[in-house]
Amino acid sequence: MDFDYSETERDLSEKVKEIFAADSKDSLVKLESGDSNVLRSTVLKYLKALGQVGYLACGLEDKKDTMSLVTAQESLATISPSLFLSVEVNARIFGRLIAVYGTADQKDQFLHDVKTGRLIGVVALSEGGMNIVNEPLQTAGVQGGKGFFVNGGKDHVVNAPIADWIAIAGKIEEHIVFFIIKKGSEGLFIGQRFSTMGYNGCAISVISLKNCSVHSKHVIGPFKDEEPLKTLRRWEDQVLTTGSLGLMNRCYSDALSYAKTHKSGNKPIIAYQEVGFKLAEMLTLLQTAQLLAYRAAWMDETKNKDATVVAHCAKVFCTESAEEVASQALQILGGYGYIDGNPVEEGYRYAKYLQIAGTSTEISRMKIADGVLQMD
Amino acid sequence: MDFSFTEEQLMFKEQVMRFATKEIVPRVQEHELKGEFDFQSFRKLGEFGILGLHFPEELGGSNADVMTSVLVGEALGEAGVDGGLTLAYGAHTFLCADTIFAHGTDTQRKKYIPKLSSGEWIGCMGLTEPGAGSDVASLTTRAEKRGDTYVLNGNKMFITNGPVSDVAVVYAKTGKDLKHAGISTFIVEKGTKGFLPGSNLIKMGVRASHTSELIFEDCEIPEENLIGKEGAGFMMALQTVEWDRSALLAPFIGGMTYVLKKCTRYAKERYQFGRPIGKFQAIKHKLADITIFIEAARTLCYRIAWCKDQGRPLNHLEAAAAKLFIGDWSLKPANDAMVLHGGYGYCHEYEVERYFRDSRLAPIGGGTSEIEKKIICRLI
Repeated sequence: MDFDYSETERDLSEKVKEIFAADSKDSLVKLESGDSNVLRSTVLKYLKALGQVGYLACGLEDKKDTMSLVTAQESLATISPSLFLSVEVNARIFGRLIAVYGTADQKDQFLHDVKTGRLIGVVALSEGGMNIVNEPLQTAGVQGGKGFFVNGGKDHVVNAPIADWIAIAGKIEEHIVFFIIKKGSEGLFIGQRFSTMGYNGCAISVISLKNCSVHSKHVIGPFKDEEPLKTLRRWEDQVLTTGSLGLMNRCYSDALSYAKTHKSGNKPIIAYQEVGFKLAEMLTLLQTAQLLAYRAAWMDETKNKDATVVAHCAKVFCTESAEEVASQALQILGGYGYIDGNPVEEGYRYAKYLQIAGTSTEISRMKIADGVLQMD
Repeated sequence: MDFSFTEEQLMFKEQVMRFATKEIVPRVQEHELKGEFDFQSFRKLGEFGILGLHFPEELGGSNADVMTSVLVGEALGEAGVDGGLTLAYGAHTFLCADTIFAHGTDTQRKKYIPKLSSGEWIGCMGLTEPGAGSDVASLTTRAEKRGDTYVLNGNKMFITNGPVSDVAVVYAKTGKDLKHAGISTFIVEKGTKGFLPGSNLIKMGVRASHTSELIFEDCEIPEENLIGKEGAGFMMALQTVEWDRSALLAPFIGGMTYVLKKCTRYAKERYQFGRPIGKFQAIKHKLADITIFIEAARTLCYRIAWCKDQGRPLNHLEAAAAKLFIGDWSLKPANDAMVLHGGYGYCHEYEVERYFRDSRLAPIGGGTSEIEKKIICRLI
């Protein structure tokens, strides 16, 4: 065992922090409130910088660098939850889809640009709410033209309004495939950006496809089973789990700082057990969540037999803890926490997304139980 | 970062589980129900090498690292050993024997550690008093130097193994007006004139461990029974926290794993409305929450053990967080496990009620959750 960060793990995380150390505060504020054009240019700006330090290439190459990635992900999610989500959807979901399942030509076409931050990509999975577990995909392609004509639609696609390329999960006959479609393609319709409760610096919308022509060279698959969908969910869950750590870091550090500086009865409010003990519980949840998230990632990388169950445990625990920590932080900040535009009220609104997206908390718990019922 | 165990560690955990399942577990329920200390099982722990595991071979140990000790604690719990016996083992090995080993003279080590390692002698540690729990500085037990002896007067309270111990490590004030710096540590043997353990306290849980007062009335001990130097006692007590937050917490986590296995078995075998209750989402929800607790808790425990193995000073913030989480957050899954078993869960036979009662000690013993929060507050 080794609980220390290795030099490599620390190095990538530090490089990520350095990118944002100098001038980014205004950009990140704009990200939370700006229009889609501002959002796209901001995301591209930071993608390029993150590409230069090697952040985007993590997980897209053969070498095992999961722990470096998770450490750096936590840093980015702490700096900006919205940017983190946009970047991860691009690099870790879209990029990894191409890296793991794509053809050699697809890798040549896309991977360099993903690693260097020159494109924004997205994978569209969910239909009919946010569920791919129980209902079969309705989006489907039929042979025609130089490839396929695709019809269907996707809900709640993060990055869709700002993406250059969209990989859409669908079916050809009964087999899972991914159609990689360029922005502006005929028959591809990007819906209005949703006004959301949280993650306001992410553009989320529906996608619909009406006889959208996709060249066969831009089809990944077909696959004989649903394993790629499950794998994508696993990657997504890992991103959301680490995102929770970022939210907790932000909320905890703001609440701690406020509790040390805000005075009541001539002493800082942290001196009151009603406040101080809340912070103690928050820190306990944060530390426990960090260790569980790291161990889950390590188990996934080392292909531990219990990796799937523990990954679901981490998803549930970390995302629920994020909501609890944000809630307690807001309570500590009192009226200040209730005003728009501080990390704590943001965290309180954002946290719910983490429990809904990916494998929902409810489905995760069922999967954990299924896992332990089989183990015994 | 790396979360792997060595092959040897994992193999030893398996061996301990097999040993405990065969030799200890069949006796657990009977002793727990009667509230009897199981001397036979305790001695078997010694014969198997568990009681002195981390001590050097020449003192009857196996030179094991802290992580292995944690895995042993987990293994005992996971095999179904009750919290009473694991607590007795913890108090004996980590609070009593290790204090002598870590701070005692060669003579003290040679005299006590082999007998404590083998289980021939049982040890206890006396720190808490009727009026001094978390506030250690307010100890009132006094040790007065008279010639080449110390004379102890005072009472200790809630002392695990008190009624059954052969040797006690006792904290008492030697500096009259000093607070922490006035605390010293002594070895007191059973039968010493003026030393009397009280009768066993009837407890809610961990009933097979015996707990009592220790009474000192002009108890005269030779000066060579002082451990270390006068005034160094508080630091010794603090160092036991490293064990308390790792090897002593591990059986709680192992115990929860045992309970989870019982729950999954019951959920598969118990039919209601024509199907196993494990098919109902409400039951699955409980199974999931128990699993989440186990997975979240164990890494906290491993971190404390790993740091000690690296020779690092205890990180009190991390230790307090580990104790707070394992104490407070274990209550709901322990309750879930009992409720999952319905009426059977309320009956002794099904063991989950035992775990429910045993686990209630976790937020109280060795530093209450409130004290852990106080420590965290002070350090953040």
